[in-house]
Amino acid sequence: MTSIDVREADGGVVLAPSGRLTVVTAPELRTTVAERITAGDKIIVVDLSGTEFVDSSGLGALVSCLKSARQAGGDLRLVAPTEQVAMVLRMTNLDRILQPRASVADALHG
Amino acid sequence: MSHIVEVPATIESIDVVQAEFDTWWTSLGEQKLETRFALELAVVEIATNIVTHTERAEGSAGRRYQLTLDADDATLTAVFADNGMPADIDLSTVTMADPDDEGGRGLALAIAALDSLDYSRVNGRNIWTLVCKR
Repeated sequence: MTSIDVREADGGVVLAPSGRLTVVTAPELRTTVAERITAGDKIIVVDLSGTEFVDSSGLGALVSCLKSARQAGGDLRLVAPTEQVAMVLRMTNLDRILQPRASVADALHG
Repeated sequence: MSHIVEVPATIESIDVVQAEFDTWWTSLGEQKLETRFALELAVVEIATNIVTHTERAEGSAGRRYQLTLDADDATLTAVFADNGMPADIDLSTVTMADPDDEGGRGLALAIAALDSLDYSRVNGRNIWTLVCKR
């Protein structure tokens, strides 16, 4: 199960999905990001410190959300992946286009 | 002893599969975390493949699949069986998607995570066999 905590921040918005990001929960992430882009947020920070598991469906949602954010003139940035998430990002070479930032502050203003 | 899970072929079943995997893994005692990451990832990818293939090909109504988890001294094995349409797949041609692609990573991730992945069609059932060395 996943729930996504949404925090307004200076410079953007911070989304923190907790639990697993799989085919079950990826649609919720896509919807939440789409809503924030429509609301005018440019920098979407995905705080992965509470995301204990991601699979190809979760990664697909992150790539899709990254493209949507960039098309809207913004960006999507990852922060604090857990060990499992970092492993899957490396296995898929997605750490090249979704290179995690050191902190939420870095992600918002870097 | 085998840990057997049987679930409807629906998206929501993935949560059940992961909860059952967690129960089984805990029963094994202390194990390497990276082995868990690898096998759990592959299990979720194949379960997702079965569920989405079933929904696309014939609808999920009345469709179920079974997962059998086993451990011996050397290996951890997960076997999926379902009575859906044959999976039209050649595992030898699977490659990892480019970073910009939104899909097409599931089977490549499963293959990369495991020591072996096999698919066969036996007596009208799709059989996926996932093996990780301990």
